[in-house]
Amino acid sequence: MVSWSARRKALTILLFIGPTLIGILLFSVYPIVLSTYVSFTDRNKFRPNPDCTVFLTGLLEPLCWPQFRDRAPVGLGSPYGLQDPIFKNYADLLGTMFTPTALGSMFLMVLCFLPLIAAWVLTKRFAKLATPPVSRTTLWWGGLGLSLVLAFALNIGAAYNVLMDTGDFVVVVGRTLIFVIARVPLSFVLGLTFALILNSEHLPGRTFFRIALFIPWAASSLGILMALIWQFFFREQGTINQVLSIFGLTGMAWLKDPFTAFAAVVLVDTWFSYPFFMITILGALQSVPHDVYEAADLDGASWWQQLTRITLPLVRPAILPATVLTSITAFQMFGTAWAITQGGPIQSVGKPGATEFVIVYAFKQIFQTQNYGRATAFAVILFIFLFALTLYSLRMTKITKGAFES
Amino acid sequence: MRRKPTTAALVLQYSILILGALFAIYPLWFALIASGRVGDRLYTLNLAGMFVPLEWTFENYRTMLFDKPLLTWLRNSLYVASVTTVVSLVVTTSAAFAFSRFKFYGREFGLILLLAIQTFPGVLSLVAVAQLLTALGLYGKHEGLILAYTTSTLVFSTWNMKGYFDTIPVELEEAAQIDGCGPVQSFVLIALPLARPALAVTALLGFLAGWGDFIFASVLVPAPDSMKLVVPGLYSMANSQSVPWGYFAAGGLLIIIPTILVFLFLQRYLESGLTVGGVKG
Repeated sequence: MVSWSARRKALTILLFIGPTLIGILLFSVYPIVLSTYVSFTDRNKFRPNPDCTVFLTGLLEPLCWPQFRDRAPVGLGSPYGLQDPIFKNYADLLGTMFTPTALGSMFLMVLCFLPLIAAWVLTKRFAKLATPPVSRTTLWWGGLGLSLVLAFALNIGAAYNVLMDTGDFVVVVGRTLIFVIARVPLSFVLGLTFALILNSEHLPGRTFFRIALFIPWAASSLGILMALIWQFFFREQGTINQVLSIFGLTGMAWLKDPFTAFAAVVLVDTWFSYPFFMITILGALQSVPHDVYEAADLDGASWWQQLTRITLPLVRPAILPATVLTSITAFQMFGTAWAITQGGPIQSVGKPGATEFVIVYAFKQIFQTQNYGRATAFAVILFIFLFALTLYSLRMTKITKGAFES
Repeated sequence: MRRKPTTAALVLQYSILILGALFAIYPLWFALIASGRVGDRLYTLNLAGMFVPLEWTFENYRTMLFDKPLLTWLRNSLYVASVTTVVSLVVTTSAAFAFSRFKFYGREFGLILLLAIQTFPGVLSLVAVAQLLTALGLYGKHEGLILAYTTSTLVFSTWNMKGYFDTIPVELEEAAQIDGCGPVQSFVLIALPLARPALAVTALLGFLAGWGDFIFASVLVPAPDSMKLVVPGLYSMANSQSVPWGYFAAGGLLIIIPTILVFLFLQRYLESGLTVGGVKG
């Protein structure tokens, strides 16, 4: 550590960190504070204006501060006030989530995953044994089969429908989680496949394929424009239906059907995200020593055994942070769904559409319905959730490890 | 892999690669064909026409460049993105240097705070940001957008730069200090030149924050047409029924292709700049 005189040091630090600090306070911390406050008010399309006589409003709304007061938009709308009861926005969002029926359905759903969790725990335990009583594959298939049987026996479809009727929050977050669960493994498998092939040396044209397969990632910085091009494929008069009609088949309105619209968004978002996995895994594969495989070949290990016993464990440290990062990005996906479906198709009025994921929902609540109170309540719940998730994943992947020891 | 693969394995590998490459490239290829089609004839009932350009005209490109405000949008975007780049570079590198080199009260807390607030989704803070900018008189102006974009890059760039500064040996600066260098001098003259790869990454991220964004740009600068950035501008064009899709394809490609080329060109550089600094397991 360099040491300068104390006063000069303090001034220098302020000079260096000041701009960042002001930026963060104004554009990151302040919005969080204001959103939290607004989430307890009835602010919406008809009541957009601050009532500066209320102490907290006068304090938090910049348009109430004396020097800015003349910039406040004049005219339509009445001032907003506190909700009555004060948690009304939250109650509306969560709906009937905490009634016995809904909680019961949630319990049933968790119950279905128990065999899978048991399989996971058992594989962890058996991994330490030299000769496991049951092989890993059997365990996983057994767990999966039992889960499916349980799901069928407990009539999970009905439980799902009950949950989907509780309120917007469960619907939106549930759909987003399904999206993440579908999209992340899909891009992982694609990325892994391409990385494994591209890693072999006896392959003329490797560089060409590497560049070609990398292109979606390069295009993802302009994601919304690319997604608009993709959207064209799924339109009623779009490319897919054109090709089908050449073969004498009648296509369907892909984006009007909840399931195919969802699948379309998953497909396009996979297109954007698999190169990230491909690049990460390729980089990790370069550091895997060759002689390990030679030894495995001598011992007669099959291709699959080499993949699951050597390659995957060795590249795991690189894959884990990448997976966590992609999952968080997938959870906050906006552009793809907005460009392709705008959150639709909507099955019943006043309910979120089939591809209305968390950020799309928030965006629509703010800018279309202009229901600020409810949107900010949603933001606050989401923030708590994401904050906990990020802290947990940071601990798991130890990303911050190096940062605090120096 | 280690041994020479069998013919069957080779065939399988190549078919996967070719299918993958088709999947990766076809959307762009499709847009390219559509952008060269005569008039507003988007569709062709000809199967070959889906894969090769049977007809070609530069009419769509000409219209986009000279009759539509594409060039104005492009200028706006370039202005916003480059000012964001410069501001973000200055602000984040100095903060990162301080976090890396000085021990002070609240340093660890500051770093954690940066990560924590990043989890608040940007869209959801837009209402507050819009209000703040209205109060400051910057709503609907490019300068307001620049402020918003710069703050959106702060967290990642500061962390990444700090990671890189940590890898530069501090002895150099200590030697300079003995020779009479102050903290600002040792930052500008010693640390910055050594951090060039990470600077490139920080600059690129700052540029992309403004270049590809849709939400902030469409909310904070909603109108008029002459003030719009290129992505919201093209988006409004693609979604209106009256504008032929060929125009959008031509305009979109004029933006997308250079971006992709820059990315491909910088690929190796990017990977090394990102892995040396920032997130290490």
